[in-house]
Amino acid sequence: MKHDDRIERALEGLLPDEDWQALQAEIVRDPELRAAYVDRVWLHSHLRAERETLVELLDEPTPIRRWPVAAWAAAAAACVTLVASALFLRSKPTVATLVQAENCKWAGSDLPTAVDSKLSAGTLALVEGIATLKFKSGATVTIEAPTKLEIHDAMHCRLLEGSVVAEVPESAHGFTIDTQDMKVKDLGTRFGLTAGSAGNSQVHVFEGEVEIGGLPGGEPKRLKQGKGLNVTSGNTTAGQEPTRGQQKQESGGWTAIPTSFGRGKDGYARRGDGGAPMGTHPLIMVKHSDIEAGRKNERRGFITFDVSQAATRNVGEAQIVLDPEPSGFGFSALVPDSRFAVYGIADESLDAWNEAEMRWDSMPACTDEGPVPAQVRRLAEFWIPRGGSGGPLTVRSDALAEFVRQDTNGLVTFIVVRETGESDPSGLVHAFASKEHPSARPPTLRAK
Amino acid sequence: MDDLPPNSDEMTEAYLRLLTQHDRWLATYVYSLVPRAADADDILQEVKVTMWKQFAKFELGSNFRAWARKIATNQILNYRRAVQRHPSAQLEESFIEAVAAEIDRRADGLDHRAEALRHCLHKLPEAHRKIIVWRYYEDCGIEEIAAKSQRSAEAVYQLLSRIRGMLNDCVSRELAAQP
Repeated sequence: MKHDDRIERALEGLLPDEDWQALQAEIVRDPELRAAYVDRVWLHSHLRAERETLVELLDEPTPIRRWPVAAWAAAAAACVTLVASALFLRSKPTVATLVQAENCKWAGSDLPTAVDSKLSAGTLALVEGIATLKFKSGATVTIEAPTKLEIHDAMHCRLLEGSVVAEVPESAHGFTIDTQDMKVKDLGTRFGLTAGSAGNSQVHVFEGEVEIGGLPGGEPKRLKQGKGLNVTSGNTTAGQEPTRGQQKQESGGWTAIPTSFGRGKDGYARRGDGGAPMGTHPLIMVKHSDIEAGRKNERRGFITFDVSQAATRNVGEAQIVLDPEPSGFGFSALVPDSRFAVYGIADESLDAWNEAEMRWDSMPACTDEGPVPAQVRRLAEFWIPRGGSGGPLTVRSDALAEFVRQDTNGLVTFIVVRETGESDPSGLVHAFASKEHPSARPPTLRAK
Repeated sequence: MDDLPPNSDEMTEAYLRLLTQHDRWLATYVYSLVPRAADADDILQEVKVTMWKQFAKFELGSNFRAWARKIATNQILNYRRAVQRHPSAQLEESFIEAVAAEIDRRADGLDHRAEALRHCLHKLPEAHRKIIVWRYYEDCGIEEIAAKSQRSAEAVYQLLSRIRGMLNDCVSRELAAQP
């Protein structure tokens, strides 16, 4: 059997990237090395997978908690949510309890969540609603959909994306929540924390004080009541150039056209953009604020579909499908159920807006105040409830179909604005996946 | 949206039974394909969610592991494609495919290796068992074990690597001894 120290080093993450890549290439080429690698990696992975039973090795009478299958299946049948969450957390000690769940939907399930579920270390993915977790340390964490939270232990969790509000009593001082960009350690307070699916973390202290670590500068920072801090992950401000999408025929006679098809484009503009275009961001962010302090954060989305290959003249029904994603900015608790409007740009010469260059002062068919009535038509409105809508949103109306039918130049452009304001300048910024988003679905026009 | 979760209690129970039965094996499989990913457990969870969504298409009584292997491999490739965009992504893809094919080819043999491992663990001297427990049960990294055992990180690595080498040799011997 061929022995290679590089394999062992690779398994521990000790092999420099270039050596790891060289090793990977050799493993692909060399069957003998591949066999040796599989022996080692299987052994290592098996020990990882069997971790719970390994403690027996030390002859310690540590009981291993495990649900019998039948009870487990019955519980899950009563609440399929367990399939998505608690099921994968079994047989580890309980660190928190789900004490409240308002209109919750969890990933992989469309049934309501069982309140009082015991949670151990693992990941929770809330797609819709607002849920409250009480940790054994006494800390209470409220999560607002869409959010992915990784629970580590009673004093520590990690916010993968979405937003949370934590209330921490004295017994749990030191309770810590990490994001990709920072580590927030509580010093007796109530604070909110958000993390975007494409980078950006924002913390806001409602009461008391927190300590922020893991910042790019290295030095921890203290933040007091009323203060906030915003960290933008440097590598995620611009999205990836997407692979070009396809126009697709779907069942029921629908034609689906994503913004990634042909000359399609999408982006947004922010009033306080300082002249920087946002057209290639992976998210289309939309926000409205009537509060002076929130005015600079006003954002409008712009979406153009290439309909040149579709028979627009015969369109009887039309829909725009948007995929909501966490923006990493703001708290939905501070924004009520929100109404959005979709405008179509009637002046076809404005379809030529440039995604890479559009700024607040060069938005098509808009002034600072909003869409210019003479150049646009209000086609539809839609609502996103507080706590999110869960899954893709479909916007449809007769006016939308009529607008698509009247196209003459093969491009249709829409403006998406939020009409509902906020009660605090830290209110939620809504966001939808753009064609630059690495995993979510781009805006799509469906017509038949 | 063609893969909505199946929705009867019976299906749920069937799925949970199969998953419980093969849970550790599935974890081993996923970890083996992404050994260096810090988010291997997230990937594993995504795989289970995807399996659940597609469970309606699984034919009860057919080979669950073969079905799960296919879904897991696809899911891992998709996931890696989504998060990884540097030039080595292509290499990583062919690497994952090659390793998955090797595991598929040796499916039964690897099962026997896993069984034999149990035996071999108990044969380890106590000091070595302790290192294994730290590394895997408590999920400590090399640095943490170094701090706990007052050794240098390199010394811990050497020791851990030797222990795994001994386990690997022991497993091979046990299998060779079997008829």
